[in-house]
Amino acid sequence: MKIRFILMMFFLSQPIMAQLERKLANETQEVDLIFHAPRHINLLTVEPLDKKTLHFAIMHTFGPLNGGVQNLFGLDNGANIQFSFEYALGEDFSLGASRSSRDKFYNLYGRYHLLKQTQDDAMPISLSMMGGAGVNTSDYTFLQTENPSFSERTSFAAQLMMARKFSDKLSVQVSPMMAYFTDPNPIFFIEGDQNLYLAVGLSGKYKITGRSSLTFQYIPNLNNDLRNNVGVGIDVEAGGHVFQMYFVTSQALNEQYLLAAGNGRIGEEFRIGFNVNRVFATGRKRR
Amino acid sequence: MKNQIVFFFFLFVLTISREAFAQVYKTEGGNVEFFSKAPLNEFTGKSDKLNGLIDLEKNDLDFFIDLNTLKTGIGLRDRHMRENYLETKKYPFAEFVGKINEKVSLKSGESKDVIAVGTFKIHGVEKQIKVPGKITAISSNEIKLEASFKVLLSDYKIEIPKVVFYELAEEQTVSISTTLKK
Repeated sequence: MKIRFILMMFFLSQPIMAQLERKLANETQEVDLIFHAPRHINLLTVEPLDKKTLHFAIMHTFGPLNGGVQNLFGLDNGANIQFSFEYALGEDFSLGASRSSRDKFYNLYGRYHLLKQTQDDAMPISLSMMGGAGVNTSDYTFLQTENPSFSERTSFAAQLMMARKFSDKLSVQVSPMMAYFTDPNPIFFIEGDQNLYLAVGLSGKYKITGRSSLTFQYIPNLNNDLRNNVGVGIDVEAGGHVFQMYFVTSQALNEQYLLAAGNGRIGEEFRIGFNVNRVFATGRKRR
Repeated sequence: MKNQIVFFFFLFVLTISREAFAQVYKTEGGNVEFFSKAPLNEFTGKSDKLNGLIDLEKNDLDFFIDLNTLKTGIGLRDRHMRENYLETKKYPFAEFVGKINEKVSLKSGESKDVIAVGTFKIHGVEKQIKVPGKITAISSNEIKLEASFKVLLSDYKIEIPKVVFYELAEEQTVSISTTLKK
């Protein structure tokens, strides 16, 4: 007893080692970069924008690959180009506007982030929602005497995005989506003839090096017989840009047309696609 | 029973005496700043979450910072810094453990330039460094420490890809400034 006591005294009277306990300032911090950018092939992601930043994306898809070298693997066929701007009004909410060349389609949309995944899994997923309204502004007077009215040209989209970063390498997003065309006119560049389209978007990212990932997208349709959308590609971060190159079955770049415009057969009717993403910080004091 | 009383008595005396004579100063809210000056882009990253301990009795120093708390003013740049450069999920802390090269005993208001020698660790890599700094005694139980040193990213296996070479400097200047209390 005495020996133990003395030992204990000895131990206690030893100078405390001058070492602080290493602890994180914030245990429940949000996971970084579930995806490289707010866009992933053709779908929007849960990746938020910081308040007062502007995200700019130029997206292209070209003609089908099956034209071979004669058509330079589709690059000769008219590209569909979409310019999209998305501005974050707050940490959780951003408003976007985009314009696709196909059907001269203008789209206004909002993204709202409900939940954000944390590193300690107190919140295991990120959840965002998106809603959009668009209008086709093509001129059809060369086909028919009267143009469709404004309301007949409108279409709407909504989706929920649920994503999880499973590891440093793997992130997956599941997005139940719907699109509604007020009048699915056959003169539009869409294949479907119904008003409402339902689908589930699946997006995957697998990191291969520090700054690049293999990407994947699959959008099975739920209420129609159109072919399903499939895309595979690669994302590369370079400085402040994210380049996204992919093969995809559809030429559509906005949510409404992704669901209604139909898809080519997987393989020979893949198209080359290419997005450039850039984020600009605004409202920041210059040092 | 008796033993226990004696034990607690000794424990009590020991704690008291240690409190009374120790020269240990601590902080949990020190300021850290790093400055990157590349040909095309200059920026600073800041944090006010520096944790530190200075023991003027034994000349010991121990500082660490949670790198997740560094902010450069652009959220995306912070995310890239954490994910691609510092890899904070694997290596969350930058730390310095060392000794002051001489005994420092200051009266209130006095200050002294000192050199600390020790191990700096970031991104999982340790390196012996020397840091010049200045200690000022603000009052009998408060001291202020200011120090600045340079960090070569390649020394710590933090690679800069060629495409961002013009935007991120290889040599970063790190400055700390903190008030520590007894």
